[in-house]
Amino acid sequence: MTERSLLVGPFNRVEGDLEIRLEIKDGRVAQAYANSPMFRGFEIMMLGKSPMDALTITPRICGICSISQSSAASAALGSMAGLPPAPQGALAAAIMHGVENLCDHLTHFNLFFCADFARAAYAGRPWHDRAVTRFTAMEGSAVRACVEARAQILHIVGLLGGKWPHTLAIQPGGVTRAPTPRDRIRMTSTLAAFRRYLEGTLFGAPIEDFAGLTRAADLTGWTLGDAGLFMEIAEDLGLADMGHGSGRFLSFGAYPQPEGRAFAAGTWDNGTLGTVDTAEIREDLSHAWMLGEARHPTEGRTDPDEDMQAPAYSWCKAPRLAGRTVETGALARQVIDGHPAARDLAAGGANVRARVAGRLLEIARTQILLEGWVSALQTDAPFITDVALPDAGSGEGLVEAARGALGHWIKVEKGRIAGYQIVAPTTWNFSPRDAAGTPGPVEAALEGAPVGPGEETPLSVQHIVRSFDPCMVCTVH
Amino acid sequence: MAEIETFYDVMRRQGITRRSFMKYCALTASALGLGPAFVPKIANAMETKPRTPVIWVHGLECTCCSESFIRSAHPLAKDVVLSMISLDYDDTLMAAAGHAAEAAFEETIEKYRGNYILAVEGNPPLNEDGMFCISGGKPFVEKLKYAAKDAKAIISWGACASYGCVQAAKPNPTQATPVHKVITDKPIIKVPGCPPIAEVMTGVITYMLTFDRLPELDRQGRPAMFYGQRIHDKCYRRPHFDAGQFVEEWDDDGARKGYCLYKMGCKGPTTYNACSTVRWNEGVSFPIQSGHGCIGCSEDGFWDQGTFYDRVTDLTQFGVEKNADQIGLAAAGVVGGGIALHAAVSALKSAQSKAQKSPSKTNEEA
Repeated sequence: MTERSLLVGPFNRVEGDLEIRLEIKDGRVAQAYANSPMFRGFEIMMLGKSPMDALTITPRICGICSISQSSAASAALGSMAGLPPAPQGALAAAIMHGVENLCDHLTHFNLFFCADFARAAYAGRPWHDRAVTRFTAMEGSAVRACVEARAQILHIVGLLGGKWPHTLAIQPGGVTRAPTPRDRIRMTSTLAAFRRYLEGTLFGAPIEDFAGLTRAADLTGWTLGDAGLFMEIAEDLGLADMGHGSGRFLSFGAYPQPEGRAFAAGTWDNGTLGTVDTAEIREDLSHAWMLGEARHPTEGRTDPDEDMQAPAYSWCKAPRLAGRTVETGALARQVIDGHPAARDLAAGGANVRARVAGRLLEIARTQILLEGWVSALQTDAPFITDVALPDAGSGEGLVEAARGALGHWIKVEKGRIAGYQIVAPTTWNFSPRDAAGTPGPVEAALEGAPVGPGEETPLSVQHIVRSFDPCMVCTVH
Repeated sequence: MAEIETFYDVMRRQGITRRSFMKYCALTASALGLGPAFVPKIANAMETKPRTPVIWVHGLECTCCSESFIRSAHPLAKDVVLSMISLDYDDTLMAAAGHAAEAAFEETIEKYRGNYILAVEGNPPLNEDGMFCISGGKPFVEKLKYAAKDAKAIISWGACASYGCVQAAKPNPTQATPVHKVITDKPIIKVPGCPPIAEVMTGVITYMLTFDRLPELDRQGRPAMFYGQRIHDKCYRRPHFDAGQFVEEWDDDGARKGYCLYKMGCKGPTTYNACSTVRWNEGVSFPIQSGHGCIGCSEDGFWDQGTFYDRVTDLTQFGVEKNADQIGLAAAGVVGGGIALHAAVSALKSAQSKAQKSPSKTNEEA
């Protein structure tokens, strides 16, 4: 077999711009290089601004994870002030954030990921006709149903946050709107309708049945709803043998509440659970078009190399935890939180099927969480406390976006922002190589992917890349 | 040129019934502030006119405009608009990938030369020869110019394409530049907001597809029907402003009572948009209703006006009854978009559209 190199991109049906260069040898990917070709410089713009402006500007990094960015910014400001938000405010923020994450997972499954199964290249497979009916881009019946269901559940964010995307209501002290009893009733009924959609369309069974699965085999053997169709396709195409991960996961823990985070924080290294020490994070710049040394985000700088010198090949920095790559996302969250089926599924490390299945599990679990949270709202309680920001200080805001661990690090001097660094989930997952030459998680996952002769946009590569649900606008900001 | 089907053909193909179609025409007429007499006109146009192809491209942006767009209020409206414009090329939603996607882009331009609408989400960064946003191996600014050359008209979606938005915030590291400063020889309609309201987006595009021309624009090139009035003028908290009742801090007694947010930095008094009438997420709410002031995201330069919580201080210079055009004439530094100035749609029309568009249907159905 000949050797060749292939440039795959621009990738569509991912959020933002992405280009991947593949070195192919003997019909397989030998090396992959992920390039994030869009840079806007948010970290530079933040300098000199009022710290509170982070709440408005950073969410605009991304139109689909805006509440994640807003939550992280608000957590960073809150940590600088040393004050937690009002408990009910944290609850309302969790509801908004949970809805956004749920919507992102649904969009990924229906609009971005499964559309590839409707490709003509799969014609003749026993499931192809059904995949075409359900998942054809922009036209499939599942696509339409998803878009409509999403619009409905986002009413909850509308009610609590005024508008979505780019909600302004989340503040360091809580949220700006105290929901009324009427809002609560309305959210309850919206969630009930969404449950009907999930049970009727996605899972084909009660949500608790799916969320309560304990073994990987039960999950991958699920036959009902669109989840079942995916499992059937995954089995037929061998998606479990594609896109292997390192088996190292990171989660900052999702939905902080006074009593802890609803999905636990932690690290996972092939069966061993650990605690997150953010002091061990470094952003390596050796292969990014950025000038400077590898630093911790509190000391980090964003200084684009306008000459775009080799060996750099991406605007993305390369974050490492204790010098190693980690994968982050829904599967990581579920594994670290201890969901038995997720742990079973990821026993040999992540793969394409496990990542998508992890997301499906999380959809079910998040719906259940949301229902509990809405019923726990006490509309007469305070929803925001007065948080006075110090004139100087630093803060760290850690949250979980749909795509994984998101951190904001802020430094304030004389009442103005003196440093602002953001490490987004896809910055972890789609990082370029580091100084040691170690490829980032998606680059490593692509190695070994089969590429047929003459294939210009290899299907395996499409599946692997999209299984991470990359959000490229967050990656480089 | 290839034969193009009509809008109605496309809708029929999507399985949309005649009844739903007529309902959509009625909704569109009301959303656009047009009377019932326009319903048959819209229907007739859709049945007889070839559908207008749309190419949708993304520059420096966050995709919030697309997100807003696919969530338009009436499910049918969204379906119809999506099928009407078919988004012949949209790199976020389309099926094709990589080279196939680029080929589709070329093919659409070739096939509909001079006839398509170019919808731009985001803007081109011009620093370093445009290297901060590369699409298909080329700077986005080249792709934009290329696609614009044979377009009939251009829609600048959102604050990014219209004005630059946050990525143009000082020091504007990438020199993010609004579309009209790069493309100067085409009619451009600006639909600002971060993002624009979904119904405003579908309303604008439906108008252009139906009547084959741009809607009336204000001085800044925004459709007057949606940007003709200040948020302040139609704000449900306005009586509290007039009565001098203000929120002084988050969640104080005034906040619980829904007092005016002016002292919390609300930019409603200087912002022209339809938020307080059309509202967001299918008419559910808007930022002021969530207890947070407006940040003025449909106004040029909203990102660099001091902090978002600073009080508006230049309020007294104009009265409530003024519209964006009159203010624009008075205020220094407002640059016209080079597009003919028309009278703004009257308050009556906006109020009418609100009354017809605000059923609480979403409430009970949910």
